[in-house]
Amino acid sequence: MIDFLELSKSYGTFRALAPLTLTVPRGEMFGFLGPNGAGKTTTIRMMMSILVPSGGTVRIAGLDCHRDAAEVKRHVGYLPDSPIFYDYLRGREILQFIGEMHGLARTEASLRTERLMSELGLDQVGEEFAVNYSMGMKKKLGLACALIHEPSVLILDEPTNGLDPRASRDVQLRLRKSADQGTTIFLSTHILDMAERLCSRIGIIHHGELVATGSPQELKENVTSGGTLEEVFLAVTAEAENT
Amino acid sequence: MTGGPEASAASGSRAVWLLTHLRLQRLANQMTLVYSRRVGARRGRTATAAKKRNRWVVSAIVVFFMLFLYGNIARQGMVNLHRALDHPIGASPFAMPSGDLSEAMTRGLAMEWSLLFVVAILGALATRELSQPDWDLEWLVTLPLRMPLLMWSRLMERTIANPIGLLTLLPAGTLTAWTSGYRWTAPLVAAVAIIPLLLLAALFRTLIDTGLRMSLAPSKLRNLQAVLSVLSILVLYLVISIGLPQPLTFVMNWARHFPAWGCWLPPGLVVKTMNSTDVSTGVQFALLLILEVGIAVWIGLTVLSFQLRNGVVAAGSRETGRSAVPVRVSETHHPRPVFLLGTVVQRRELRLLGRDRSFLVQTLVLPVIIVFSQIVFQGRLHSSTVAGISNATIASIAFAIAAYTLMMSAFQTLNSEGGALWLLFTVPRSLESVLREKARLWAVLALAYPLIVFIVAVIVKRHADIELVGFAAIVLLGVPIYAAIAVALGVFGCDPLAQEVRTKLRPTYVYLYMMLAGLYTYAIFASEWWQKIVVIVLSGLLSVALWQKARDELPYLLDPAASPPARVSTSDGIIAAMLFFVVQGITLAIFMAVTHHIAGNAIVTGYSIAGATTFALFRLVYWRSKTVGIPRIFGPGTLKAIGWGIGAGLVAASAGAAYLFALRRLDLLQDVMRESARELSANIWIPLLAVVAAPIFEEFIFRGLIFGGLRRSFDALPAIVASAAVFAIVHPPASMIPVFGLGVCAALAFDRTKMLLAPMIAHGIYNAVVLALQTRM
Repeated sequence: MIDFLELSKSYGTFRALAPLTLTVPRGEMFGFLGPNGAGKTTTIRMMMSILVPSGGTVRIAGLDCHRDAAEVKRHVGYLPDSPIFYDYLRGREILQFIGEMHGLARTEASLRTERLMSELGLDQVGEEFAVNYSMGMKKKLGLACALIHEPSVLILDEPTNGLDPRASRDVQLRLRKSADQGTTIFLSTHILDMAERLCSRIGIIHHGELVATGSPQELKENVTSGGTLEEVFLAVTAEAENT
Repeated sequence: MTGGPEASAASGSRAVWLLTHLRLQRLANQMTLVYSRRVGARRGRTATAAKKRNRWVVSAIVVFFMLFLYGNIARQGMVNLHRALDHPIGASPFAMPSGDLSEAMTRGLAMEWSLLFVVAILGALATRELSQPDWDLEWLVTLPLRMPLLMWSRLMERTIANPIGLLTLLPAGTLTAWTSGYRWTAPLVAAVAIIPLLLLAALFRTLIDTGLRMSLAPSKLRNLQAVLSVLSILVLYLVISIGLPQPLTFVMNWARHFPAWGCWLPPGLVVKTMNSTDVSTGVQFALLLILEVGIAVWIGLTVLSFQLRNGVVAAGSRETGRSAVPVRVSETHHPRPVFLLGTVVQRRELRLLGRDRSFLVQTLVLPVIIVFSQIVFQGRLHSSTVAGISNATIASIAFAIAAYTLMMSAFQTLNSEGGALWLLFTVPRSLESVLREKARLWAVLALAYPLIVFIVAVIVKRHADIELVGFAAIVLLGVPIYAAIAVALGVFGCDPLAQEVRTKLRPTYVYLYMMLAGLYTYAIFASEWWQKIVVIVLSGLLSVALWQKARDELPYLLDPAASPPARVSTSDGIIAAMLFFVVQGITLAIFMAVTHHIAGNAIVTGYSIAGATTFALFRLVYWRSKTVGIPRIFGPGTLKAIGWGIGAGLVAASAGAAYLFALRRLDLLQDVMRESARELSANIWIPLLAVVAAPIFEEFIFRGLIFGGLRRSFDALPAIVASAAVFAIVHPPASMIPVFGLGVCAALAFDRTKMLLAPMIAHGIYNAVVLALQTRM
């Protein structure tokens, strides 16, 4: 479903992402782990055509994310790490706008807006200006924007960052539900517990290089001979630092 | 609890200094940020740019220039007041008062100072600080300072760091002190004398903004800030009007009838103190001033502590902004289908415009105020002469308001998205299509002003002549063209992710837009119809070229490191055509300087040098930048190209011949024809130029670059017509029609063969046939 082929990105002489080749099959929830500044957001932004690859390609549903930027978005829902919304638009209006931008009829967009607001616990604040939302509410509204067109792929950058435990659990349950319905999910995080609980496969990136991939179980067995995921993470990132 | 000694709080004076320093540092950073952006520089990955030296030089120059400008207005204001209030007999109209000011003059100056004082308060309040969601007082109260000391510190820093107050009061103060005999110490005396006023302005500002913050939500604060910004501009205009060569009559009447008690208020007392004839009177006035300001500050601080009695909590917090009863729409309740105007994007833009009064005022109110203020100040508009305004002036006013509106709106389409721009990257729509919808919306909104102006003009003049209708057509055609130019330039001139409001715009592109909009007024004021057409067609082409450049840039908008690959574009064609004509002009000027006349061989040589230079330079640039899509002359299928060239040439030449015969039969332009025939028969070089040099160089520019560039964005037909129109308008008016035909045939031949050889042959055949016919006729 998602195919990275030698995808790379440099900012001048700084290499943010070394050529990355990876395939995330349909229906998989893939956890993209790495320390701060490792290249997770850069990779995700290239998938969303916010950044232009320095080399290689990334394809979603067979479409090139850079060349077919608009077409790809029909299949993709995206949540950035810190979503910002328009001043003077209420949460409900933003969601309705995004729905209609995805080509939904006004009535259909309105119905889905109501459903998602209620599902994500935003119905009490739907008439507030989104700019006044707390971080958790903004994340939930961002997730609603990503889900409104019922995409087959979800790309989520730190989806539970800044959420309280209850909100974090709500979001994780919603993601689990989407995965059960066959949605392919590519999420970046450095919350290892969540990655281990949710993801069927994990990739760890460090200094722009993919240093380990596999299911949580495989990684624990192969890298640390039965240690925890945290030990795996520390081992592969330290190893990369030493080389 | 153990550990080291606790940090003691800063002393009162130290706290005042630290807060003032912080404010000044912030102001300095804002100013240097505006001027330090390199043109076209791309954002780096690092959050903050490296320190650049000599930034202060630019800022200092700007401050000096502003002080000079305000000083000059203040001087002229003093001269005007003196002339109007003192009626000096036999004095020069430029004479300044000196020494002890008359009672009337003191009142006049007190009125001017009162207005300046209002500007100092309103100007400071109208800054965006009021509408920022973060209120710095909320974190300042967490510092280990007692509230009264904190309030004093705030007053002090706002007294010292009030650039608008300084800019308005210091030049006027210096002039008043100079007139009162202080001469070269005048700036120093003025700087001291205005301190009480600045303190008072700081007090009013603090009282007002604290009160507003405590009681109004951020959205309402932004609306209020919009109203204040308009008010401050209006009052500033009133003050400036005193210093214009022809001051506004009603403002001078205010000065004449300013009440005597007004002179005993702080602004009047500052004038009286500076203008006292002896020290004891001066000291008395100064003491009274200090007493009045002291009482005001004491009352103000008491009110402030009352305002903050329950702590510092802005009313704009989320909890208070939440509506008490959430609106719920059940699954079964569907919104009633209604007729909706415009697209989703346009409706959202209109909704934002309706709610954000600041945006509304900036886009739809300020342009009218700016244009009409300029007209009023230039003395062009008086009630007795409204009906007598020329049609050209009416058209230029109409276009100016629309152009300003577009600058405030269409130019800033990306900035209006702001940090929420990412949302547009998540939908299956190209950013270009969104911008196109916004350009259309703003074009329609901006068109309302010219329409109103023309309707009012017809009502006042009681008739609509054909000239006015023509001008209206030019303006109404120009607005959509400039909406596209504004949006396209805005892609380069806006930084939607900039944190500081002042760095969101790159001034260079704003000036470029204003300059281009200014050029369009040539279509209004040009005397010949073909000159008007040239300006309109070139503006249209420019809008296409800029739009194309902007479209190439859009996928790279948020990428700090990448830029679009070099491709042949319409703008290259425009630059090449300009270069071609400039080099040709320079070469001919050199020939003229050396030989004192221009012979046929000089024309051919000049033409060839210009063509060869343009051709070589562009090939070099394209080679260096690895440009794709460079037009080629030869290639596979040369025979086909020759065939197309001959065919297209014969069709164009037949049309040209028919045109010549028609002119002859109708006895039109025969003088021009005979003149051209005489030149042709006298000079063997011209045929050489026309049949060999012109096809090579002109085809590279007009078909290779301009048509090729247009073809990238348009279907064949519009690209052919547009490139042929541009090709026609750079030729003499008499030959525009047949040359348009040649342009169409040549572009068609190029489009079908993808080789410049075909249009070159067509062009050569056309020129040969037309020249031969002209010499025989």
